[in-house]
Parts: sequence; C-alpha cells; structure tokens
Amino acid sequence: MKKPEQRDLFPGALEMMILRTLKRQPLHGYALVQHIKRTSNDLLQIEEGSLYPALQRLLKEDLVKAEWSISSTNRRVRIYKLTAAGARHLERQVSSFEKMLEGITRVLARGES
Amino acid sequence: MAELFQKEASDRELAEEMESHLQLHIDDNVRSGMSAEEARRQALIKLGGIEQTKEACRDRKGLPMLETFLQDVRFAARMLRKNPGVTVVVVLTLALGVGANTAIFGLVNGVLLERLPVPAPEQIAALVIQGSGAPLGALGFSYPQFVEFRKQTEPFCEVFGQALGRPNFTADGHSDTLAVSGVSSNYFSALGLRPSLGRLILPGEGERPGEPAMLVLGYSFWQKRFGGDPGVLGKQVRLGGKPATIVGVAPKEFRGQFSIFEMDAYLPLSTLYPDQSGNSLWNSRSIHMMLSLGRLKPGVTLAQAQSRFDVISHRLAEQYPATDKDIRVRVMDERLSRPIPYANNAFIIFSGLFLILGALVLLLACTNIANILMARASVRQREMAIRAALGGARSRLVRQMLTETMLTALLGGSAGVLLGAWLSRLVGSIHLSGFPLQLGFGFDWRVFAYALTAVVFTAIFAGLSPALRATRADVNSVLHQGGRADAGGAARHKVRGDLMAAQVAGSLMLLIVAGLFVRSLRAVENMDLGFDPNRLLNVRLDPSINNYSETQTTEFYRSLETRIRALPGVQSASLASSVPIGYIRGKQSVYIEGRPVPPGQQAPAILFNSVDSAYFETLRVRLLLGRAFLEADGETAPPVAIVNETMAKHFWPGESPIGKRFSMTGDAGPFIDVVGVARDGKYRTLAEDPEPYFYVPLAQSFTAERVLQIRSSVPSESLMPLVQREILAIDAHAPIEEIQTMKESLGGALGYFLFRLGASLAAVMGLLGLLLAVVGVYGVVSYAATQRTQELGIRMALGASRRQVLALLLRHGAQLVAAGLLFGLAGAWGLTRVMSNMLVGVSPSDPLTYLSVAALLSSITLLACWIPARRAMRLDPMVALRYE
Repeated sequence: MKKPEQRDLFPGALEMMILRTLKRQPLHGYALVQHIKRTSNDLLQIEEGSLYPALQRLLKEDLVKAEWSISSTNRRVRIYKLTAAGARHLERQVSSFEKMLEGITRVLARGES
Repeated sequence: MAELFQKEASDRELAEEMESHLQLHIDDNVRSGMSAEEARRQALIKLGGIEQTKEACRDRKGLPMLETFLQDVRFAARMLRKNPGVTVVVVLTLALGVGANTAIFGLVNGVLLERLPVPAPEQIAALVIQGSGAPLGALGFSYPQFVEFRKQTEPFCEVFGQALGRPNFTADGHSDTLAVSGVSSNYFSALGLRPSLGRLILPGEGERPGEPAMLVLGYSFWQKRFGGDPGVLGKQVRLGGKPATIVGVAPKEFRGQFSIFEMDAYLPLSTLYPDQSGNSLWNSRSIHMMLSLGRLKPGVTLAQAQSRFDVISHRLAEQYPATDKDIRVRVMDERLSRPIPYANNAFIIFSGLFLILGALVLLLACTNIANILMARASVRQREMAIRAALGGARSRLVRQMLTETMLTALLGGSAGVLLGAWLSRLVGSIHLSGFPLQLGFGFDWRVFAYALTAVVFTAIFAGLSPALRATRADVNSVLHQGGRADAGGAARHKVRGDLMAAQVAGSLMLLIVAGLFVRSLRAVENMDLGFDPNRLLNVRLDPSINNYSETQTTEFYRSLETRIRALPGVQSASLASSVPIGYIRGKQSVYIEGRPVPPGQQAPAILFNSVDSAYFETLRVRLLLGRAFLEADGETAPPVAIVNETMAKHFWPGESPIGKRFSMTGDAGPFIDVVGVARDGKYRTLAEDPEPYFYVPLAQSFTAERVLQIRSSVPSESLMPLVQREILAIDAHAPIEEIQTMKESLGGALGYFLFRLGASLAAVMGLLGLLLAVVGVYGVVSYAATQRTQELGIRMALGASRRQVLALLLRHGAQLVAAGLLFGLAGAWGLTRVMSNMLVGVSPSDPLTYLSVAALLSSITLLACWIPARRAMRLDPMVALRYE
C-alpha cells in the first residue's frame, strides 16, 4: 500500500475539506479542485492523484453520493453531493479539528512568550 | 460474483470520470490561452496519468479474495500456455492416473454403491438365508419358507423374491436362451416400479401353477431383440417350448436385482415352474430357489427387522426340524449382498484391492508431476525471488503456484474422467457367455466426487512442496547466483531421489500383483479339470416341454446319440445331467450303509451327476478302479454308482470302495453299489478344493433335461450347425435350451471370467505403473545430469575418465532403484495378503513372480538411468564448463 502522502496536511484533512466544500454546494471533481485552490488563495494545491481516491473512499463509506449530469460547458460530469451521514461526519471532524487546532495554537502561543 | 460485476462497473465509471476531468482541465487551459496540444499536455501532467490514479483508487478499495483468485487463474493460464510441453506431459500423466482410478471406481460404484433404481431404495433389504452348516447365502429360500416369511413379516416388511431361470425363448422363428427372473406376484409392486410399456406382473398373479404363461421383457432385451417395437404387446411367443404372451416391458432403468447381471425378462413364478406334480418348487422344502428381498416399512430399522426374522426362523425350525433346522435369515443392506448373495463378499475384497492399485497408479502419476514441477520450480526460483523482492508476500506466491498446479490438475482430471468413462465402457462391453453381464453404468456424482478428490489430492501433493521450495529461497542468494538458480540443491536432490525410489516401489507392487494375476490365470487355464475341455460341444435339451413321456424321452435321446455318433468328425457322444463348472444340478443327501446318521444331524449332501455309459470316454475322465457304466446298468438292473477319489477317501478311508454301498433315500436303503472310482475334477468352480462327487447311470435316475456332450476331432464350432440339423430332423420343435462349446462354457462367471478380468485389469495397471516409473526415473536422472553438468565438466577436466563419470551417475541411480525395490517387495508382500482367495495355482508370495518382476523392473529402470548418464558422459569438458 502507498505510504501516507506528505501533501496531506494531516490524515483526514483532505476529506474534511472536500466534505466542507460539498456542504456548500454539490460539485464535480474538477470544480472541487478549482474551488479549494481558489478559496485557499492558491495556498492549498489538491493533487488529482489523491482527490479521486479520497472521493472513492468517501463514496464507499456513504459520506457522499455521486450522480452523472451535464456541466455548463456541456461535458458529462459526475456531481458529488454530501449525504446526511456525511454532514454528521463533517460536524464531528470539524469540532475535533477545532479542539486540536485550539490546543496547537495554545502550545504555539505559550512557546512564543 | 455480483460484487465483481459491480467492481467492473465502478472501474468503468472511474475511467469516465477521469476522462471528463481531463477534458474540463483542457477546456480551462484553452480558455486561459494555451494551444490545444499544450493544454492537453499540462492537464495530463497535472492528473498524473489516468492509469496510475485509477490504480491508486483500486488499491484503496482492497482486492477481494475472489478477484485475487481470478487474477491467479488468468496468470496460471498464461503460464501454462507459455510452457505447452510441460503442460501436455503433466496433463497426460494425470489423465492416465485419474482415468485408471475413475474407471475402477466407476465399476465399483456401479456394482457396489449405487442403490437399486426404485422409489425409496433405502428401505430395500437383502434377506439371505443360512442353513445349518452352509455358508452365508449358499441357498435361497424354499418356496414354502418364502411364503411363510412373507405372511408372518407382513406388519413390518414386505418380502418378495425371485428364482433364476434360463429358459429357451422362441419368437419370429428364432430362438435363444434368456436369463430370466421368475418373480413372486408382489415383486414389482413391492419394488414400486411402473412399466415402460403395457403392464408388469400384478399382485395375486402367477403363484398358482397352471395360470396362463406370460412374460414382461427387460428394457434392453426389448430394444435388442424387438428394436423397441411397441407392437410386442400381446405377442405370442414360445417359452421353454410352451406358448406365452408378452404383456409388458420393464422400466428402462431397472435391470433386475443383481448389480452385474441384466435380466432379459421377468416371468410369473408359475410360468417358470408350470409343473406342480411330484417334488416341485411349489411344495418342496428342500428346493431352495427363492432369492429374496424385503421392503421394510417406514421407520423399521434393519436391526428391528432382524430380531423379528429371528423369531420367525426359530418358529419354523421347530415346526420343520427335518429341513429348516438351524435356519437363520440375515437382514442386510441390499448393497452388501452384491453382486449376488452367493459371493461371500469376495467381490468387496476384489474391489478394495483394485482401488488400492488405482491409488498406487495415481500416486505414481503424482510423483511424476511433482518431479516435473520441482524441476520447473528451480527454473522459476529467480522469478519468485524477484517477485518476493518486489513485495510479493510468500503466502501469495505459494497460492499463485498452487493455482497453477490446480488448473493443470483440473485439465488432467477432466481428460482422465473422459478416459475413465471410455475404459469402463470397454470393460462393460465384455460379453459373458451364459449371463448378460452388465458393468456399464452412468457416471453419477460419486464418480465425479472421487475424480475431483483425486485431482485436489494431486494438486496439493504434487504442487505444495515445489511451491514451498521455490518461494523459500533467500532473495539475495538467488539473485546473486547468476542464471543457474538452485538454492538448497542438496535437499532438493534428496527429495527427488526419495520420490524416484517411491516410484520404483509403487511400480514394483503393481507389477507383482499383475504378475500374480497373470500367473494365476495361466495356472487356471492349464489346470487339470479332471476332464479334457478341448473340442467338446455341450447341447442342453429338455424334451419334457414337448410333453414327451419318459419312454419317448429315452427314445428321443437314444436316436439322437446314434445320429450324432454317425456325423463325420465325431469321436464319441454322451449324455449327462450336469456340466462341470457350468450347468449344475443340486446336491444329494447320501446315507452310507451301516453308518446311520445320528439323530438331530443331517446326512451329508454331495454333488452328483447322472451320466450314460459313454460319458467317461467322451469327457476323458479317467477311472482309477473298477469299471465304467454299462448298457446293462439299466432301469431294472441293480443300482450302481461311481465315486470320485475324494468321496472314496472321505467315506471309506484306507479301504477299497468297490462293493461298498450307500443310499440316496435313507438309512434303510435301497442301496447303491459302488462299482468304480473316478479321478477328482473341478465341479462347481475352478478355485474349489477337491470335493466329493459321484456318478449314477441316467437309466437309473431319470431326468428329462440333459446335456449332450460331443467329443470331436474337428473344432466344436464347426459341428454346431450339423448337430442342430440332426436334432431338428428328429423333432422340428426340438427344445434346444443351449448350445455352446465347453471352452465357452468355461469362460463363464464360475469359470475363467473373473480370472481373466482380474488379470487384464491388473496387467493394464501394472503396465501403466511401469510406464510412469520409467518416465519418472529417466526424468530424475537426466535432470540430475543436467544440473551437474558443470561439476562433471570440472571432474573430466581434472582427469576423471568417462567411465568414472558414468559410474558416478549410475551409482546414484542404482542405489535409489535398490531402495525402491526393497520397499516395493515389502509393500507387495503386505498388499498381496488379501489375494489368497483370488489366486489359483500360485501363492500370493510366489518367489518366482517376486524375483522375476523385480529383475525386470530393475533392468528397465537401470536402462532409464543409463541413457541420460551416458549422454552426460559424452560431454565435451569445455562445453560443460562454459555451460550456463
């Protein structure tokens, strides 16, 4: 099996971002990449090579669902949508992420002073 | 499976999605001003290769077991196609092994394991009656016994049965002798069978002599004789010379109650035994003709039935002490009484022995395959090492190799099953004179399960060890060894050597068994039968069916003998009531004068034959003492008898039996004078021990049914039409029951048949074993020689002579062969212990067979060693050293 990829910020970060983005609106894969790139001001580059495996994983766990439709540019695309389970999962992830972030921030702040 | 399809669908979706992603990206790039080509290039770089991404997605999903397996199978199929030579050899070897096994198991299955093709066959039990002192199943039920058992067991078991008969059958101007069952009226209803045409024999029908004669044809006979014509219903035919009506045809799958004989027709008992007068089947308690079965009522076990039968037997024994004393009815699984309830389980031992031989052949085949795979495994060690280095888990590699072996084994197994089906059909087509032998049978699930077990066993036995070895190798050492990769060579050579010794041992066992069977057949065919069976013709006649009186019958035979003796080429002709090892009449109680039978005991029963004055000359039975019968020993003359040596020794040890007297009716006489002593012979079976026997003149013991025996200077076959013409000249409706040469008669079930079957089956297995062993030994030695090419080159470069090299290679081979022979001799000795009852004229430990077979096998295997060794010896040292 592949080694955990460095470009993942930490395990689960990519999934969380995908779920958060999909919560706002259903998107296809390419749009997801563009959206994350844009909203992070190009700070976060999502590799397609990890996006699709992540999407497959989410699909398998029923956190998202996908269906085929036609894009505005008339291409056949697969639109991903957040499921109810996905929304719950996202909530849990975000709250635990926030706790962790708070912890990290405190440690970093303490270290500075 | 559904999961697999789902997976394929999702693969397709993923590919599509990738494609769409790529297009969107290209669109974007184009929009931002790139050329179409550059846009595509950039997009592709970004996506990082569709295949890789797809692969990454797949890995995420994890491989289900089944998919790994299918992958292995596809890979294995590729490997097999890549090495067609190896594949063909392995498949052929296995086909031989599995084929031999399937054929034998098919035979055993057909004869011993398949239940009768009737509804609820598990309720059918065989009822085997044991008389006082008689061996199990030696006698059937007498009809009165049968009727009483049937009546008294009614609440828990329906008893039904049949008597065998061989009547003459005439239809459309053509006659033959049929094998028929004279069945009790409830036979078909108890079996629960329905006719395939017309009707069967109905309850209440055919157990009163004098009822209209009828018959139900067996399905095969109907097909064979009447071409399956439905018009046979109502047809008038002659059965034993008397008119009878065909009323129906038995169901196709029912071949009679004996697993190895197929009945031609089924008659009501009253049609087979129309005569009620005198001492007949219908009223005699000493004519034991009824072979019986019972259908147990639902819920009744064999043991429960047995205890009820015991009570009834006991009651009958008290009621009829003279005839039914000590009788006991054994209630057993119908299949255990096969092939016929006389056989005393000899067939089970016979089957067991041949199943063991089959297993040996399969083992030899497996060993060969294991050898080939081992050789392949060393070649593939490098491949395996590389795969291991690339992260293939060992269990995965072993599984992969086993899949390959299994696939090959399945191919070989399928070929083997086909071969087996063909072989068993071949054996099944053997025609046995007398009874219509039937060994042909459908291949059912048992045969397939057996073949499959053999295949799986082969794959595991032959494949596991090479697979483990190939994958055990240390990656480093193998990859560093250059091309010739054979790590752990010494251990592998040892295994291969052991396999070779095992092959020699197995093949020796097979050959010894075959040798014993062949020698036994030889002994039997050259056996002194007490008479000369060459150029002797037997014609069985029964004028009583033409309603001849006793005088007419005597006159008929007299004029017949005169006419036959006048034929050219005829040396002599005589009449008898029995044919040794063929058509045998019953035994006769004998009371020796002055030695009354103690109360509560029965008089000894002894086989006898009624013969005329020319008998001893015609059969060439030598008289040791006294005289032959004379024309003067007529009906009114004093009764006389000729006894054989064993009877003389048994009753009058140490004295001359001439002038001694015995009676066939009781202690009080009338008595018969012994006037001569004849040489011992074989009377019932070839394997029997010398048995007491006596002859009485036909004139003093009338039977209507007789066998005319003709000794000729010309081949008996050429006399047949002439003899038939003479008989028809006396009476156009002459009742010829059977006409065959003595040699044909001896080929029957009681004669040479089993010996020939055993010898030919064993010989085929022995040759198969020899072939496999030779191929195996040759393969091992030539492989070893190739592996040692470099070493041999060095030895020769250092001055070893070719002779020394040859000796080196041969010594190794010879040691293995010797070890194999030793184990083989021991194994054969053990295996042949069960054969003592199957061999005649040769002991199961016959040293001559053991030694000559061992000598033959060792010279052939040593030759198989010598050829590759000599090839190695001819090596050019320089070539050998460079050999890589």
